[in-house]
This record gives sequence, C-alpha cells and structure tokens, in this order.
Amino acid sequence: MRAALQKSSVATVMIVVLICLFSYSCSQSHVDRVVIGSKNFTESLILAELLAQQIESHTKLKVEHRFYLAGTYICQQAILAGRIDIYPEYTGTALTAILKEKTGSDKQAVYQQVKSEYERRFNLTLGPPLGFNDTFAIEIRGEDARRASLKTLSQAAAFSPHWRAGFGYEFMERPDGYQGLAATYGLHFAEHPRVMDLGLLARALHDHQIDLSAGNATDGLIPALDLFVLEDDRHYFPPYEAVPVVREETIRQHPEIGLLLAELGNKVSDQEMRRMNYAVDGQHRDVKEVVGDFLHQNKLAP
Amino acid sequence: MQSRAATPVIEFRDVSYCVAATDVLRSLTLQVHPGEILALLGRSGSGKTTTLKLVNRLVSPTSGEVLVNGVPNTDADLTRLRRSIGYVIQEVGLFPHFSVAQNIGLVPKIEGWPEARVRARVEELLQMTGLAPELASRYPHQLSGGQRQRVGVARALAADPEILLMDEPFGALDPLTRDELQREFLSLQRRLRKTVVFVTHDLHEAMRLGSRIALMEAGKLVTILAPDEFLRSTDPWAAAYVKAFGDRLESTATEGKS
Amino acid sequence: MNVFRFILQNRGQVLELTGEHLWLVGLSTLFATLIGIPLGIVIAHWPRLNKPVLASANIIQTVPSLALFGFLLPVPWLGARADRLAILALTLYALLPIIRNTYTGIRGVDPAVMEAGRGMGLTDLQLLLQVELPLAVSVILSGVRTAVVISVGLATIAAAIGAGGLGEFIFRGLAMVDNRVILAGAVPAAILALLADVGVGWLEKRLQPR
Repeated sequence: MRAALQKSSVATVMIVVLICLFSYSCSQSHVDRVVIGSKNFTESLILAELLAQQIESHTKLKVEHRFYLAGTYICQQAILAGRIDIYPEYTGTALTAILKEKTGSDKQAVYQQVKSEYERRFNLTLGPPLGFNDTFAIEIRGEDARRASLKTLSQAAAFSPHWRAGFGYEFMERPDGYQGLAATYGLHFAEHPRVMDLGLLARALHDHQIDLSAGNATDGLIPALDLFVLEDDRHYFPPYEAVPVVREETIRQHPEIGLLLAELGNKVSDQEMRRMNYAVDGQHRDVKEVVGDFLHQNKLAP
Repeated sequence: MQSRAATPVIEFRDVSYCVAATDVLRSLTLQVHPGEILALLGRSGSGKTTTLKLVNRLVSPTSGEVLVNGVPNTDADLTRLRRSIGYVIQEVGLFPHFSVAQNIGLVPKIEGWPEARVRARVEELLQMTGLAPELASRYPHQLSGGQRQRVGVARALAADPEILLMDEPFGALDPLTRDELQREFLSLQRRLRKTVVFVTHDLHEAMRLGSRIALMEAGKLVTILAPDEFLRSTDPWAAAYVKAFGDRLESTATEGKS
Repeated sequence: MNVFRFILQNRGQVLELTGEHLWLVGLSTLFATLIGIPLGIVIAHWPRLNKPVLASANIIQTVPSLALFGFLLPVPWLGARADRLAILALTLYALLPIIRNTYTGIRGVDPAVMEAGRGMGLTDLQLLLQVELPLAVSVILSGVRTAVVISVGLATIAAAIGAGGLGEFIFRGLAMVDNRVILAGAVPAAILALLADVGVGWLEKRLQPR
C-alpha cells in the first residue's frame, strides 16, 4: 500500500509539471494576437503606441502591450524568445549594441545593414524607417543661432572659444561622444565642459549657465525652450533612425501587418516627434490621446 | 572434543586482522563443524565481532584465509556468498520502510523467487519464529523489541542459508524476552540444523545455546571447549569468566541440549 | 483591492508571465535535481569528495544573483538568450540545497540497516535504490523544496536581464511608477512560492519513512 501511495504522489507531481509546461507552451502561440513591446522612456512608448493603434484600428487582431521593458537587451531577448512580436528600435543602436558592428554615417547603408543582418541572424526584419533620426543633437539657444545666422556645427566651431559647454556624463565618457566631436569639428572651449545631470542640461542652456549642450534630436524641450539644433554637416554622429523590428513569423502569420508598417514609413518627422514628446512629458497628456490625434491628423486612422 | 571426518563448514587458517596500527585479531585458527552452534565469547575488544564479520567478508583479513565449505571465501562471488549466509545483528536493522513481510521476503524476491513462493515462505517463517500472521503487514516501528528480532531471524533464514551468523542477537532485549527467544531459538535449531556462529559476552547465553564455546581475549583464541568442559576448565581466562558469572551455570550448561 | 481588480483585468498577461516564470523555475529545478541528486549520492559514498563539492556549491550560492547573471552575459552561446542564461543560473543556485540534502539524507540512514542490508547480500546498487534512496527521499525532497522556493524568488530577478517571468511586471511597474503593476508581479510570485512550499512539503510528509 505504501508503494501505491508513493507511486500516486509521483504521478501527481508529474501531471502538475506537465500541465505547467503545457500551459506555458500554449501561451506562446500568437496566432490571434500581436504583442508590442517598448523600452522605458517616453519616445519609445509613443512609438509603440503608434504601432499598436495602427494595427488595432486596421485589423481584427488583439493587440497586447508589454511596455516599459528596461532596455535594448531586454527587448531583444523578448523578441527573440517570441514574448513580443514587434518593438520600436533605432538603427544605430541595433548596429552597435546588438549586432556589435562599427557604425557608419550613411542612413541608408546603416538601415540596409541592420535589416539584412537581422534577417540573417535572428529571423527578425525591419519595417521602413518611421521618418526621424533620434541621434545626438548639439543644441544652442535659438537667439544665438539667429543672431549669428548659425546653421551647422562647422560654422559654430568658430564661436566655441567664447562658449561654455555642458554635457551629460555618458557623452563625456563615450569615445564616440565629446572627444570625437571636438576633434572632428575643431571645437575649443575656453573651459573644460561641465558635466551635468541629463535632466538639467536643457534648463541650464536656457538659463545662460551654459551656451552649448548635447541632447536628443527629438527632445520635446527643443521647441519649448527655443533651442536650436546645429546640423551635423560632417556626419560625425551615426544615424539613429526609428524603425519597427518585427518577427518574420509574425509577418508570415499576418501579412497585413507588413503593409500597415509600410504605411507608417516616413510619416514621423523630427519635428513631429518633438511635438509628441513634449505633449506627453511637458504637457502631461495621455500617450494614447497624443498618438490618436497624430494618426487622425495624418489621415492614417480609418 | 571429538574430531569429525566431514569438512568444516567454516575454517579460519592463521587469520590476522590489523587496522589503524592495532592488532584486532592474531593468528586465528578455528573450525566450525556442520550443524553446531559455536559461541564466540569474549570481552569488548576481544575480536569476536570481527571474527564473525570475516566469514561474510564484511571485513577482509590482513593475512590468512577464511574458508567456507572448503573454498576460500575470497574466491566466491561476494553477493552469492552473503546471500547464502544468514546475518543477524543486535540492532536488528529491519528496513523501516518495508513491512514485516517485505523485510522477510526481500532476499528471496531479489533472488527471483516467484511471488507465490515468497509469500508461502514468509508465512512459514512467521510461524517458525512464533509471529502472528497478522504482523506480516505491520511495519517495524509498530513492533516490540522481541518481535523485531524475531523478524530479524526470520529474514536471515528466508533464503534457507546453510550458515547463520549472529552478533549478540538478543543483547538489546529485556531478560524475560531474551530468555524466551533463546529458548525458541534452540527449538528452531533442533528443527533446522543450521551451522550457527554467534557472538556474545554473556557466559549464560554461551552455555545455554552453544555446542562449543570459543573464548577470545585480545584478538587471540584462548580455548574452545564444550560448555561442561568450560565450567571445569583450568585455563585462567576461562576460570575468570566462570567466576565472574557466579553459580547456576551447571543447570544452564545442560539445558535443552540434545 | 485595486491590485486584484488589475490582475483580473489583465489576467491574460498575468497568466502568460506566470507561465514563463514556471518554465524558468521548473526547468532549472529539474536540471538541478538531475545533477544534484547523483552528486549527493556520490559524495555520500566517497566522503573525501564531500568538501570540494559542497564548498563549490556554497561559493556559487554566495555570488549575488544579479552579479552571476552579469558574469554570464558575455558568454557566447549562453548570453545570446536570456532565458538560457537564467535557467543555467537558477540551476546553479538550486544545486547546493539539493546536493546537501541528498548527502545528509543518505548519511542519515541508520547504519544498522545498511549493515544488515550489506550482510544480507544486497549489491551496492540494490542498497542505493531499495534502501538508501527510499529512506532519504523525504530529506532530499526538503532540499528540493528549498531549491524551488529560492528559484521562484530568483526568477523574478531574471527579468532584469530579459528572461521574462513575473519579475517583468515588477520592473515595468517600477519604471511606470505604478504600484498595481509591481504587485501584479509580486503577488503571484509570492503565491507561487507558497504553493511550491506547501505542495512539496505535503509530498515530503507523504513519503516520510516511519
């Protein structure tokens, strides 16, 4: 009788284990739904919401969100494991952080390289670029730009001895950050650049504490604080075009998604992105609303 | 002591056992005859348990040979050797997760006996060792000390071995139970005629059960005598034992012997 | 009570993440058992190996889990997939309790029983399978129970490196500064740990030798 009890206990355990494993593998099938991921900053959320609403409003598919994932690596892992099907990435990030290749300066070339490598290595593909380049932006005050009719970094280099610069810690430390920039454009600031917290840079620039800073090209504060982005005429900074990364399997199962992503190609300009970023961060509006408005205005919503 | 023509069932030829720089046994030469009960008597540390364990190779000699049925026991397959020898220890060592029936039937089962035969044998042994048939499905923790040792003996006899080795089998029992089991063991032996070697430090028990008593001291065999001869022995060690155990030994010596 | 409504509303995702969590814990515990129990049996029979094996398992345990995940990230095949990495790390963490309890369980078998068994002519394998393991199974399971409960907790950290599971809710909730999301991960994880503890505990009692 003892032996029978032991056998039934073992059997129970095995059944429980099997149920767990089975239910897990079932949950992996995304036949009737699409899971969209995003990183944990505003711009990524906006883009993911954009992709989500685009798919939701044009198909019968159930769209799920797995937003606020902690970073590039996490998103990559999630999409490789099939936990998410789509997420917004940047070509430059994909190239250096995931493919671990050296970056170039040609937007098109970088995009093609990432696309073909992703298809080859990961069974992932890219939709067309969404239209903006969230690369590093070297910012000065709008009034300074207008007064001296400055447009490019090369032009601004002449003024650098009269300016104080402020940068975030990472930009100072990265080899493709301040050092390379100064070398490429011959920037010679009077003093060593101040290292400040990222969140304070735009304010400090606006308040005349510094005269030049580095931020993101699509930062919402740029129009809000009347800041001007100097053109990177020597193409020092690599391109960071926003693109949707998709699982090839997802496109296979739902070819309509491929078409919908193509529709979004080139629809979001740098300016538009800044506006949306500001709406969410500066004006504290709801991401869903902001994206809904955008789609409506651009006649993308049905 | 009468010499017998038959081959001794167990024979020790100049066996020594040394461990951790201690001589546990020294030049032991001894023969055990078929059908006899040999009592290995001695103090703690006299080497009697080691002697017992040399037979079923739980211990290996440093020098000398141990022969079972004329064959050195190192030549025989270990498993076969041990399965042909019954082994009973003081703590009994019943498998706590097996029932009485499973304990007794274990060796026959692994020897491949058909289930029906095993069951029949278990019933037979329960009856032989004075255990009620209902006890077959009980577990060791549900038995009394005396019952446990009876199961131990039954288990040792299950595959019908020729030889039975017993290491102070009744030592952990209360005097009344011990007495009972000793008496029953004698009557069992009358039926079964096994060759038994048992270890004890109790002269009463040696006298009562043993057909010969082998007295051991500090690893050496002092003397081997039949119980009545032992009583009258002039050997200093034997005499010391007799003295230590006091009287009433006469009656013990002659009890139940056929 | 907000939390429970939230969990109910998002039960699909909660279930999915729970499934991922169970996958991580289940697979790693399985591996740890397949490696740990034999290792425990080996060191129980060859005590000279006892110190190095237990010491190694101990060292692994003292490495902070997040650090271990970090160490393994650059490793070629492993680091490519976070769930592989997480499963390996979780397996390593589960080893010590399982090895140690197997060792203790087997050494704890009454020596008289072993002597009787040996004297009866049971082979080493028969002794192991029919005597030692059945008598040690309750203690071994206690080690498995510890391992599972540890794993459920550690697996929440695995989400930090992208392995998914209920920890993902916790990290996402932190980024969103939304307690409901945090708890939607923490509460099920705690319940899982409790269930595992009770469940395996029940099995332990069932299989305890009298």
